[in-house]
Amino acid sequence: MPQTTIYVAPRLAGTLGTIPPAVATVELARLFGRSAALAGVSLTVEIGRTVALLGPNGAGKTTLLRILATAIRPSYGTLAIDGIDALREPELVRGRAVYLSHATAHYDDLTAEENLRFAATMFGWGEREGGEVSREALATVGLDGHAGQRVCTFSAGMRKRLALARVLVARPSLLLLDEPHAALDGDGMALVDRLIGLWKEAGVTVMVASHQAERVSSMADATVRLEGGLLAEVSGAGASAGPVGARQRPRVAVARMDR
Amino acid sequence: MNGLRQGLAVAMAIARKDAISELRGRQAAGSTLFFAALVLLLFGFALGPDSRRLAEAAPGLLWLAIVFGGLLTMARLHQLEADDGAFEQLALYPVDRRAIYAGKALAGAAVMLVLGGLLLPIVAILYAIPIGTAWLPLLIAVALGAIGFAAIGTAYAGLTVRMRAREVMLPLLMLPVVAPLLLAAVKATAASLSGDPLGELGSWLQLLVAFDVIMLVVGAGTYGFLLED
Repeated sequence: MPQTTIYVAPRLAGTLGTIPPAVATVELARLFGRSAALAGVSLTVEIGRTVALLGPNGAGKTTLLRILATAIRPSYGTLAIDGIDALREPELVRGRAVYLSHATAHYDDLTAEENLRFAATMFGWGEREGGEVSREALATVGLDGHAGQRVCTFSAGMRKRLALARVLVARPSLLLLDEPHAALDGDGMALVDRLIGLWKEAGVTVMVASHQAERVSSMADATVRLEGGLLAEVSGAGASAGPVGARQRPRVAVARMDR
Repeated sequence: MNGLRQGLAVAMAIARKDAISELRGRQAAGSTLFFAALVLLLFGFALGPDSRRLAEAAPGLLWLAIVFGGLLTMARLHQLEADDGAFEQLALYPVDRRAIYAGKALAGAAVMLVLGGLLLPIVAILYAIPIGTAWLPLLIAVALGAIGFAAIGTAYAGLTVRMRAREVMLPLLMLPVVAPLLLAAVKATAASLSGDPLGELGSWLQLLVAFDVIMLVVGAGTYGFLLED
């Protein structure tokens, strides 16, 4: 088994000695046209927790993760990542939250190693260190034998492994994984499980959206279930349904716009 | 200083990645050159065999071919980002958006410079124009025009890459804006080819530099917003 180094962003000091939660959303909503993909989600996740994000298709899992990653802005509501207001300072959040999406976001004409070295530069690694962490990440995901191969020749599973290697190259404090097991074979799924375990040990907050409820729930500290863009259930340790006193009325107003 | 160095590293990494993709996707780059050369040939047919008429029209036709080829290049460099959701990932990297813009614009300018450089001898051969000692001012005019075109083209390609009708929207939005730059580039090219009898080459080149600066500033200032959802 190759050596795996988990790089983690340094913690932010909380004001007056308090540690801010990794994720704090208040009545987060997102409309696409007249349809509300997310209809008012207030959720708090403590630092270092692994959270399984469950729910049927169209429940709002991907929309929630994309908003947390600052890929899209919410239509309503507020969110803070590690105590940073993500709407005001998204660039600070991007240095801490890393998102693994459905799309693997590779460049087909570049080799696997070139893709990773590019990502390493974008994540702030220097030339030499970037090469080292890229090679190490490739070995961890089992692609070291394909480092010089162009990505256009990769299967869907290999592309997913390379996307996981990109996450390893980043130094997240919050990891947002959207269906990380999709397109992977048995070994690949076990690799994802092992990596989630390592991130958990390293104190990284991990939110995993998945249809493999049993698989991710067994690894998670808490389970969050979304239905119709709303929180249906929050259970376990380290996650709670919003900050104390969060108003719930606006989510009803937003949900009505869907009709 | 650290931020500047990091920004430079990011811009160079993006430009290098785009250049590698262009070189390895030779079919697309080759097709663009072939298309631009074909434009020159067809305009030659349309204007007839009158060599004086062809020589007079040559600077304008050269720039039309560069603009058509440039539009394809700008669209293709952003299509690279759209193919596998890479544009969203590019927006999520914790880097200065101006560095991302600089990298994309640098790659675009480099590809357009190569395109213009290759089209120059084709124009000379097709329209029987002796370039002689004019190659240096010609190359400077092509380089300045390419930088300006890439500067504004990168911003517009970033704007249209998420649109459904992006192939139509890019020229539709960009060509009116790029018209003054095109005019200055044509005039500078014509002055270079004619040996600059009126001494106006310097003024047109200065105007091109001014356009380049304006378009780079506007492009760098707006590209960050285009990356946002």
